[in-house]
Amino acid sequence: MSSLSSTTYALEMIRINKSFGPVIALDDVSLKVKVGTVHGLIGQNGAGKSTLMKILSGIYPDGEFAGEIKVAGENVKMSSPLDAQIRGIAIVPQEITVADSLTVAENILLSEFGISPRIVYSKKKNSQKITEFLTANEIPLNADQLVSELSLHKKQILMIASALYKAPKVLVLDEPTSSLTSDEIENLFSIVRNLRKRGFTTVFITHKLPEILELCDAVSILRDGKTVRTSERSEFDANQLVSDMIGRKLGDLYPAKTELPKNAKVIFSARDLVVENPRKPGEKMVSAFSFDLHAGEILGLGGLVGSGRTEILRALYGDNRVLAGKLELEGKEISSTNIPSAINSGIGYVTEDRKLEGLFFNLEIRSNATASILDKFTRLGVLQKRKEKVVAKEISESLAVKPQDIFEMIGNLSGGNQQKVLIGKGLLAKPVIFMLDEPTKGVDIASKAEIYRIVSDLAKQGVGIILVSSEFPELLALSHRILVFSGGAMIGEMTGDSTKEQDLMMMAIGQS
Amino acid sequence: MRTNLKSFTTLSPFVKRLIFLVVVFAIFAGLNPAFANYASILSIVQGIAFVGIASVFLVLLITAGEFDISIGATAALSALTSAMLVTKQGYSIPIALSISLGAGILVGLINGLVVIYGKVPSFIATIAMLFMCKSLATFISEGKGIADFPDLYEGFKQSLIGQYFSILVFIIFVLVGEFILNRTNFGKVIAAVGSNPEAARTAGINTNRVKLILFMATGCGAALAGFLSLLHFSSAWFTLGSGWELLAIAGLVIGGTSLFGGRGTVTGLFLGLLLMQVVASGMVASSIDPWWQTVITGVIVLVSLSVDMKRKKVKTDAT
Repeated sequence: MSSLSSTTYALEMIRINKSFGPVIALDDVSLKVKVGTVHGLIGQNGAGKSTLMKILSGIYPDGEFAGEIKVAGENVKMSSPLDAQIRGIAIVPQEITVADSLTVAENILLSEFGISPRIVYSKKKNSQKITEFLTANEIPLNADQLVSELSLHKKQILMIASALYKAPKVLVLDEPTSSLTSDEIENLFSIVRNLRKRGFTTVFITHKLPEILELCDAVSILRDGKTVRTSERSEFDANQLVSDMIGRKLGDLYPAKTELPKNAKVIFSARDLVVENPRKPGEKMVSAFSFDLHAGEILGLGGLVGSGRTEILRALYGDNRVLAGKLELEGKEISSTNIPSAINSGIGYVTEDRKLEGLFFNLEIRSNATASILDKFTRLGVLQKRKEKVVAKEISESLAVKPQDIFEMIGNLSGGNQQKVLIGKGLLAKPVIFMLDEPTKGVDIASKAEIYRIVSDLAKQGVGIILVSSEFPELLALSHRILVFSGGAMIGEMTGDSTKEQDLMMMAIGQS
Repeated sequence: MRTNLKSFTTLSPFVKRLIFLVVVFAIFAGLNPAFANYASILSIVQGIAFVGIASVFLVLLITAGEFDISIGATAALSALTSAMLVTKQGYSIPIALSISLGAGILVGLINGLVVIYGKVPSFIATIAMLFMCKSLATFISEGKGIADFPDLYEGFKQSLIGQYFSILVFIIFVLVGEFILNRTNFGKVIAAVGSNPEAARTAGINTNRVKLILFMATGCGAALAGFLSLLHFSSAWFTLGSGWELLAIAGLVIGGTSLFGGRGTVTGLFLGLLLMQVVASGMVASSIDPWWQTVITGVIVLVSLSVDMKRKKVKTDAT
């Protein structure tokens, strides 16, 4: 800290512009972070947070964007992630990246091992050094513990410790709480507060408002690639943050909603349903709740990531345990214990993760589409490829999958077309109720519109649809009704009405 | 008894394996007391020295998350190159040795470059290298072997050092390998690269360079093993080193090295190879049908591997 006047800002990103081809990702974005503060950065998915951070971390090097970056008052031009680290910027990414087979101390010292002129490793000395460092920063980790024995939460803290060890001028935490329990979040907050006390500067990226309200001294809001506002703690409240984050026109993205007939029959009902938390066997994810689904109805499940939405869908699909409750499908009681029986009784599910558990990337469109109904084309154990081809062609044409060649490898398709094939795979099993989990994740805007049309058409044909989406505008525009989950319970129901995004957000974060 | 058992499970993996080895040895010694004499122990250690020397740096390479299947073929190539240079071309032994080691390093370098920059999985790339080295070795030796390789110098093999030379080199290799892995910064870097390459990379480590160095060291170790075998037997055949890769992998897995990278132990490799050799020799000594020997080896490998998998599973479950 040479001259105090010029270094009141630990970090200044001034008039940053970045575009990908014709798409403008960042439009004159500025971010100024005062020394010794915790500065929140919020915005919805696609608002530009990650692009901004990629610029700050040197992933998009100087020259690939327009604008200026100053660290502690000095102009910096960064050529690589390593360069950014050297200039005092430490980013703790969302994904856990630690070396499991090493100890805590060894992980923290890893960056030194790579460049250290010393050859011999002294376990005792290093462990002592790191213990002192951890104590000084009040970080609750044991230097000698093997990292593979740590919980996810502790690994996250370890990543923060590793970043801190390099004595950065700015510490950036990218959505650090997304996989933590409330106790663990509190724990993390106290670490961040301690750092502030010691004069560290932290940028805290999140989309959870309560965290901003609780922790941050200032906040910058990004929306559609622009800085909407930067406010001091005294100047913002939840209401205003929500309206700043949203506030965009919806256009004709969504198909017109058809009224549900008054006498629509109930095709699926759940009574006092309790589903298991897959990460804590035997424990419930959400307390008991009940609901009905009508033929032709689109029922949305609203809430934040981690509120139990996905676990509920998976339980109905037989991929997560139902601990208690009664399920009825078309008047008959069903028990949802495994996936094949769920498919047979007419329940379809489209996973939120098409890469990991949705599609076979080394197979072509045809085989992906027909994967769950192969026995329909099989005679005496032999696959009748001709029949399979006809069916695959039909479904991919009706869903407008591009390219039209059903022998194209799935990996060569765009995210949107992959998603359509995934939906097609579910539809071929002729579901009575169809559950879609984040159906437009990582999908371009044109494909989004097509997927909305597919979903809406399905409902018109009388299929009952349960929809989970983190994009509240989409959830509101498509759903007839929305069940809102927050804090481990179903806290209410609302009608799907595009003007109610703020209400939904407030409910989801438990502020109403 | 229960407390005894409990204290057994808390022992270090090395000590546990050592106890197991001693028990197995004692059983065979019980079946045939002659098995426990000095000459038989010496021949057991001698029996694993060459494959052992070729495997030490392989342990480090596997710890860094890569594989090398070509160690045996590299050893054959090195041995036959030296043999030909000395017996047919009249080179001196030190020069022939240097050329052979250079060939081994070159093999490792090519392996490394193909894996790192060609993005070929190391398992596949080094199988290809195995074929190439093998046929090159056959070509160099004109399909025959060499049976008249001279001594290092007059009377070397009869000298005290000469008698135990390859065992000595093996033990030094084990100590050096273990020291690198556990007591140097580079050893920690190796484990980090194998455990989570992304974490290593973000810590500023040049993971490619680490792997390349280890590929070259593995090639060099294999070449030295081939040369020492040539020196020891005064002969070499193009079949030298066949099956070393499997022995090495079995030995290091029994020893506790993880095939997934991140965790490796060279002293474990030592015990693993020793255990297999004790079983092999012990069965011969107790007149058990030798065909059973490989079955038993297979069982030991399976048990060790499933323990490794289990441990990995437990850990991922915990997170």
